[in-house]
Amino acid sequence: MKLVTAVVKPFKLDEVKFAVKEVGITGMTVSQVRGFGHTGGHIEIYRGKEYEFDFVDRIRVEIVCTDELVEALIDAIVNAARTDTVGDGVAWVTDIEHVVRIRTNERGPAAL
Amino acid sequence: MLSAATLIPYPRWLNPADNTWQLISATLVGLMSLPGLAVLYGGLVRKKWIVNTMLMVFSGFSLTLVVWMLWGYNLAFGQLAHFGPTGSFWSGFIGHFQPLSTAGAEQGQAVSGANTLIPFHFSTATLAYFQFVFAAITPLLFLGGLVGRLKFKAWLMIVPLWITMVYCVNAALIWGGGFFSQKGAVDYSGGYVIHLSAGVAAFVGAAILGPRRWQDRENAFPSNLMMVAVGAGILWLGWNGFNGGDPYYAGVDAASAVLNTNVATAVGVLTWLLWDMFLSKQKKPTFLGAINGMLCGLVAITPSAGWVNGTGAIIVGLTSSTVVWFAWNFLSKVRPFSKVDDALGVVYTHGFAGLTGGLLVGLIADPGMTQYGVAGPHYKGAGGFSVGGWFFTHNFHQLWEQFLAALWIIGYTAVGTSLIFYIVKFVLGGLRESDETLAIGDIAIHDEEAFPEPTFGEPVGSPSHLHPDNV
Repeated sequence: MKLVTAVVKPFKLDEVKFAVKEVGITGMTVSQVRGFGHTGGHIEIYRGKEYEFDFVDRIRVEIVCTDELVEALIDAIVNAARTDTVGDGVAWVTDIEHVVRIRTNERGPAAL
Repeated sequence: MLSAATLIPYPRWLNPADNTWQLISATLVGLMSLPGLAVLYGGLVRKKWIVNTMLMVFSGFSLTLVVWMLWGYNLAFGQLAHFGPTGSFWSGFIGHFQPLSTAGAEQGQAVSGANTLIPFHFSTATLAYFQFVFAAITPLLFLGGLVGRLKFKAWLMIVPLWITMVYCVNAALIWGGGFFSQKGAVDYSGGYVIHLSAGVAAFVGAAILGPRRWQDRENAFPSNLMMVAVGAGILWLGWNGFNGGDPYYAGVDAASAVLNTNVATAVGVLTWLLWDMFLSKQKKPTFLGAINGMLCGLVAITPSAGWVNGTGAIIVGLTSSTVVWFAWNFLSKVRPFSKVDDALGVVYTHGFAGLTGGLLVGLIADPGMTQYGVAGPHYKGAGGFSVGGWFFTHNFHQLWEQFLAALWIIGYTAVGTSLIFYIVKFVLGGLRESDETLAIGDIAIHDEEAFPEPTFGEPVGSPSHLHPDNV
């Protein structure tokens, strides 16, 4: 099993969600995060004074899936989240040792 | 036996309409402080300073009312103490130091040294409360220059001292029938006594207090623009009482003052927006810029609300918003303005705007406007009081009187405020919180924060949930 984590632009979350469902994934976890990458931050101006906002808003998407689905899932995320501009975000895959469904205590892929 | 007629609850001198309008006006002005300035300032400061700032607003308002009852009202608006020969400066300097506390004093007919033409048709309690809300908002305005480093105890001392030594003197001299009002200077609702004075006090106070930590200046972005909108809206509409209440009669003068106030303010908003869109570095309209323009219009029409006509109101909004826009963007870059950390820019939106409006009275006041009801087109020859600027009278008499009064307000407020700040600094051993406290903000000073969130999710609590009442 794999954990796919992607950091995407906030206005792309809905498209990512639909694309992920198309692949057959039944659940995802999202959180509001801030960070910087190649884009850096941005400037906001209040009462004539400039303030640097170093960290920009992004959404972190976390999905646990079976090994077979990983490539299709990544393709779906990339296609949905891409705008072809700097700051589209990154996704990465990590191995998952074990998964438990809390309600039923099922283990492994059956828990997904 | 009493007949029904004798039970009418009004004294003969009382007019219910006047009394009602005066109390409503006073309440509107009170709302400008609470919650108006509390949420406006709370929205403009950093999140970590919201509680401290709001508490200073509420405590300052309370302190001023106590001072007002004990001696402030009579110092500013009671019978003048006449320390010198009649007509001299010291004769019209200040009233008597005495409380407003007896039934007779509160229930009696209001009188004021400045108005001898026609009597007020409401009680002293009404006038005292009306004048109180003006006094109360003044230190709350200059608080804007001091937020983010002033010791809370220092604030509790500064307000009563400042009301007594600075506000009451300026009010007596210009409104209470004192020297400058005898000379002919006018200030419709406080462009000088309140706004110019608050601007000067903010600037001088901030200079003595010293700047905020550099980290706080670099990161002084506002906490909540929606709260700024709430506060600014309350200020704008509250100003209907600020200027509409100052004729002291619920008549045509009040109506004109309200209309002019709103006209100047709308023009002030739009003027600032246009300068932002065409002359600022980013060429973008900004909400906080529009709010500055709004304040410029409101403040500048304050000394002239009932003295100018509709065209005059447009000129007031246009001129003040323009003057302050350029001061805000360019004058702020040169000494001494660049050296003093007037946190919310009070010297611009209140000081410069108040001065601009006060001087404009001398240029564009229309003698056909407010005439205290007894003269005007319908009462010609009745011997009323009106104000004419250069545009109508073709002489500079009124402008000269306005200029002298402005010099006094600036000079006296600067000296008085300095003296008070140094006294408080000496007594408390410093005016500022420690740098460690300033780094933390509200929690360090009050054990409170604006948006408490002790835990994620729904707190369960322990061990009180084991108590039988909670099971």
